[in-house]
Amino acid sequence: MNWKTWLIHHGRQLGTLAGLLALGLALTLSSPYFLTVSNLLTVLEQVSINAIVAVGMTVVIITAGIDLSVGSILALSGVVMATVLQQQLPVPIALLVGLGVGVACGMVNGLLITLGRLPPFIATLGMMSVARGGALLFTEGRPVSGFSDGFRALAGSQVWVIPMPTVIMLGVYVLAHFLLTRTRFGLYAYAMGGNEQATHLSGINVRLNKTLVYGLSGLTSAIAAVILTARLNSAQPTAGMTYELDAIAATVIGGASLMGGQGTLVGTLIGALLMGVLRNGLNLLEVSSFLQQVIIGGVIIVAVLVDMALKTDKK
Amino acid sequence: MKTQNLTRCSLGYAAAGTLAAGLILTSGCHRGGPDADRDGQPRVALVVKTLNSPFFLDMRRGAESAARELGVNLIVQAAERELDVERQMQIVENLIQTRVDALCLTPSGSKELVPVVRKANRAGIPVLIVDTRLDEATVRNDGAHTACFIGSDNYEGGRIAGTHFGTLFTNQADLVVLEGIPGHETADSRVRGFRDGIRPFPHLRIVASQPANAERDQGFNVMQNMLQAQRGIRGVFAGNDMMALGALEAIRAAGRTDQIRVVGFDAVDEARREIAAGTMEASVAQNPEGMGRLAVETAVKVLRGETVPEYIPVAIELITRPGS
Repeated sequence: MNWKTWLIHHGRQLGTLAGLLALGLALTLSSPYFLTVSNLLTVLEQVSINAIVAVGMTVVIITAGIDLSVGSILALSGVVMATVLQQQLPVPIALLVGLGVGVACGMVNGLLITLGRLPPFIATLGMMSVARGGALLFTEGRPVSGFSDGFRALAGSQVWVIPMPTVIMLGVYVLAHFLLTRTRFGLYAYAMGGNEQATHLSGINVRLNKTLVYGLSGLTSAIAAVILTARLNSAQPTAGMTYELDAIAATVIGGASLMGGQGTLVGTLIGALLMGVLRNGLNLLEVSSFLQQVIIGGVIIVAVLVDMALKTDKK
Repeated sequence: MKTQNLTRCSLGYAAAGTLAAGLILTSGCHRGGPDADRDGQPRVALVVKTLNSPFFLDMRRGAESAARELGVNLIVQAAERELDVERQMQIVENLIQTRVDALCLTPSGSKELVPVVRKANRAGIPVLIVDTRLDEATVRNDGAHTACFIGSDNYEGGRIAGTHFGTLFTNQADLVVLEGIPGHETADSRVRGFRDGIRPFPHLRIVASQPANAERDQGFNVMQNMLQAQRGIRGVFAGNDMMALGALEAIRAAGRTDQIRVVGFDAVDEARREIAAGTMEASVAQNPEGMGRLAVETAVKVLRGETVPEYIPVAIELITRPGS
């Protein structure tokens, strides 16, 4: 592949990256605290949760679906895992149980969509409420807190200087990127989003693969729950509210199309970083939380407007 | 054609980025920029739970007026939603990056914010806790350190409200309780105080007690359900005024304003108006403005190296209709 085709292939991500760099430059000029190693590491740590949730969201959106239940699944798997941790069982067992809950909820979403023929919006809207209610029932509304140092190291330790949540995030991205670009499962995900009927007719098991896609989204929500729980030293049944919106925003800013068939994890990672840098920068500049919401909403709208304009151009 | 698209694409994004950048530059300039130690003034941050509640707006007003008098560069920030503990943690982390001189914090989670208080400790930033206490055991276990706690005794406030019902109703009366966010130190203390407050009055009975998460619409919904389930409700105690005002609406919608007396907590302006109009019974006043003022004043003392008491109480009183 020569550089020209490479550029054409990655033009969309390069565009988002250019946006991120422009933002970084502006913040460097306007705040003396932005461009420091410790601040950038703080941002990398802060974006990890949203970025990991956005991995599953990206794959779901590539199949032309949506997953509104990620925040609730995060809360449910978090409180279940935390409760297991408090039984003094080994950390790996608690992690497996927590991740298992996430995958199970995701698979239920997938089955409702494939076998039950529910639109993804409705199926995951239902799960959003069921998992949230489940988390509240399970804990009677109270947070589950206080864990071993070994577990808390999953958020509080560093590899060299890189915070552990960032290391986990990068690991998840490398694995998921491989899955999406180098395996059949990845190919099928794009195919299902491009034309589900054609995919089905070419002999691909759409039901199975789609169910797995939602299972993967449940899994990444649960991984995010591990980091959040370790970071706060507490699992809250109310955790993760509106996280689905942040994940959708990162995915869409990163170039995925809600119509399906399009999107990359590199783009999503840049999208998540853009949102994280924006939030961090607005705090450093002492911008009020109300104005922050306006600015972040504006960035999402502009990103998609640009995208839409380009697509009509191509037609 | 494709390369042209590509150029357009990148241009479009660069434009979007520049727009965001421009917004940031202007908002930065607009506020004069957060220059370190402008004119040698100490920079004090006040991080509250949310700024969409009158209680915290009053707290900010008190802090701002103290900051003006004492020549303090005050930064007030909050998460969009009171339940968003992680966001509040991020805000504190970001403020640590700007090397504020002191941090006043009303924690959204009594245990959850302890790790970030520890981060501030490591950065050498003194932390003053305002309004909501941190969980003492967690603070001890984590080796975190706070300079002091400034706030009122929420337990005592709940108890005053309970006693008020005891004297208000002379006959048998059924009461319901709208609790705040479960597991929250403030919310729990208020309800605990209320239960202890009505204990000396055997004619009072709590027939239902449910969380409405400190929110107005939830207060409305939970109250509406309680009105369906419990026919003989005479009094409502709500863990904050937002829930009380929501409950008041539900009672009004059911046409039972005359029969049911509502006592809230925080005495926000809207609640005070309802009390003056006679539609609401009372509200426990916490003086958030005084809390904000004391927070800044105490932060300045800490920065001067003066010793401050571990607990700085802020007076608490029951606001009722004059002459009632």
